[in-house]
Amino acid sequence: MNFSVLTSQFWSLCLSGISLGLIYVLISLGYTMVYGVLRLINFANSEIFMVGTFATVWVETGLTGHTSGSSPIHGFQLIYTLLFALVVAMLSSGITALAVEFFAYRRLRAKGTNRLASLISAIGMSIVLSESARILTHSRPQANPRLLEKSSLGHFAGANFRVDTVLVVVSALLMFIALDRFVNKSRLGKAIRAVSMSEENAKLMGINLNRVISVTFLIGGLMTGAASFFFMTVYETTKFNVGFNLGLAAFTAAVLGGIGNLRGAFFGGISLGLLETMSAAVLGSQWKSVTVFVVLVLVLLVRPNGIFGEAIQQTRV
Amino acid sequence: MNKNSTRVLGAAAAAFLALGTLTATHAQAATTVTLAFQSPLTGDAAQAGQDELAGAKYALAVYNASKPAVKVNLIQVDDQGSGSVAATVAPGVAKNKAVIGVIGSAYSGASANSFPFYIAAGLTMVSPSASRVTLTTPQAPDFGGPVFHRVVGNDSVQGPALARYATKGVTAPAVYLVDDQSPYGAGLAQYTVPGLAKVGAKTVGTDHILPTTGTDWSATTAKVKASGANVVIYCGYDIDAGAFVKSLRDGGYTGIFASGDGSATSSFAKAAGNAAAKDARLTEGDTPFDNVATAAQKKAFTAASGVKVAGGYATNTINATNVFLTCIKQGKTTRAAIATCVNTGKFPNFTGGTFSFESWGDIKGGAPIGAFKLDANGNIVYVGQA
Repeated sequence: MNFSVLTSQFWSLCLSGISLGLIYVLISLGYTMVYGVLRLINFANSEIFMVGTFATVWVETGLTGHTSGSSPIHGFQLIYTLLFALVVAMLSSGITALAVEFFAYRRLRAKGTNRLASLISAIGMSIVLSESARILTHSRPQANPRLLEKSSLGHFAGANFRVDTVLVVVSALLMFIALDRFVNKSRLGKAIRAVSMSEENAKLMGINLNRVISVTFLIGGLMTGAASFFFMTVYETTKFNVGFNLGLAAFTAAVLGGIGNLRGAFFGGISLGLLETMSAAVLGSQWKSVTVFVVLVLVLLVRPNGIFGEAIQQTRV
Repeated sequence: MNKNSTRVLGAAAAAFLALGTLTATHAQAATTVTLAFQSPLTGDAAQAGQDELAGAKYALAVYNASKPAVKVNLIQVDDQGSGSVAATVAPGVAKNKAVIGVIGSAYSGASANSFPFYIAAGLTMVSPSASRVTLTTPQAPDFGGPVFHRVVGNDSVQGPALARYATKGVTAPAVYLVDDQSPYGAGLAQYTVPGLAKVGAKTVGTDHILPTTGTDWSATTAKVKASGANVVIYCGYDIDAGAFVKSLRDGGYTGIFASGDGSATSSFAKAAGNAAAKDARLTEGDTPFDNVATAAQKKAFTAASGVKVAGGYATNTINATNVFLTCIKQGKTTRAAIATCVNTGKFPNFTGGTFSFESWGDIKGGAPIGAFKLDANGNIVYVGQA
């Protein structure tokens, strides 16, 4: 155990953990939104994330012609390139999520099949997307050029506030707050919550079930797409199976916070990011997964519905 | 023994000799034989395999240009550098009676998992780059004898060389050693530790990471910074090494980054970006083709392989391929004949002279370890012997 690293690097580790955790938060929204409405785990969400990462690479290399040897860009060119990449990543993931809902869930739902069929169908979609990407890319990783120079905005207690980390933290927080308000305040958000609470009663109130479910998938996909853009901005490499570990981590975050609960996903994601970073620093990287899952099992033993569970009923989707 | 029985025995002996001659003539008359090139051709490690494939294609093109009596086909076997994939492709190669030798595998795990099939089939292997020590240790469970041979120096040679080169010119070297927990990475780290002690370097920290695409390296970076290390050695593969050095540089680490042959491909600089990869120190048990080839040979290399600049282990692969081609030129066209030839013969070294194999599969007298450095454009530049 290396506790000495905490004395000099504590705030630096906190910042890294929060940044990673917020990426988990955005991905976990894809799981938690769908679970909230359909009570199903959308296993294809990890591949929805993967699609977003490749879309980011496509924009930042194919469309703008940058390579791994290119110099970072600045000013207005940087802003519109990053914004365009963010929008394309979100739309690609959002459209993929809609396609998953249409092919994997809708017809099965219409036929009234049991949940296991939908679960297998989602796993099937996940494998189709992942293997298609593997074949198309010959299993090779794709590197994203560094368009955003990772310069320092300042230091606090030894932590370096790099521009990419700050971008992730601020943008992800704003996106989460916007989604939270959308679900709680907007007419469509209320419809989503109504379906989440009772499908039958929502139908009786005249809510178009298919439309609400599609919108839920779309929003989850958009958030996951945003996560993929932020991920590529920080880590700059993707591969056909990039979603597997990150998807697993985000799903774990959703369960830790209380799956189906937006604010639970938020706290679950942040907690997981911090836990991973701190355990890797203190115990060694080889103990990271062991620590995370031991903590998850212990939490679920005490609170089977996650840390927040059903406690924040009004924010449940 | 009476006269009749002598006649019967004489007739039988004559028939046996005639049959033997016919069989031998049939074997010698084989005008086309096949060699398998086994390597990672897709996946994370594909760059290493493609670099080596170019070397095999070049050696074969030179052989064919000499208008030989026996033509040689080359089949490509993709094991993705993975032991589990190798175990699924090796049986097919072993069953293919046309294949008389295997150039490969590039990776130790893939080689080890192929051994059961190739040993059973008597199929000789010559690897350009599989460096795990135990592959040629007779007492080890993953010993590849008698079929396995390699033209690369093993990790017990590379580890100390990596320690030596990583700390060269550094005053009071304080080393942080990281491995990827793979058999290759952990093995190389194991042989690097005594090398560090030998050069008087202090090991200020270690970490064992299991990298996947998108691994967050920030915790390891923080530990490196907290340790005060001025040299970081990573024992693992190219893409992960690229991601790690990028995280280190982004985190403010300005010391030396060094890695072994697993990182010595163009994928390292692609993953790191040229700026972060610059000045990284790499070792590899190979002499770069461009440093020893003539202009005509370089031109022929490009023509044969379609590759403009030879990559890592190209020279070793030429040597490995020439081991088989030398035997085939001598009329050895069966698996058994190839096995005897490889175990007892002398073979041309592309860098000059000849080499032969020890009974356990390593090159007699050992193989050299090269030292390399990344330039500002992401090119791996040879700087001499490590």
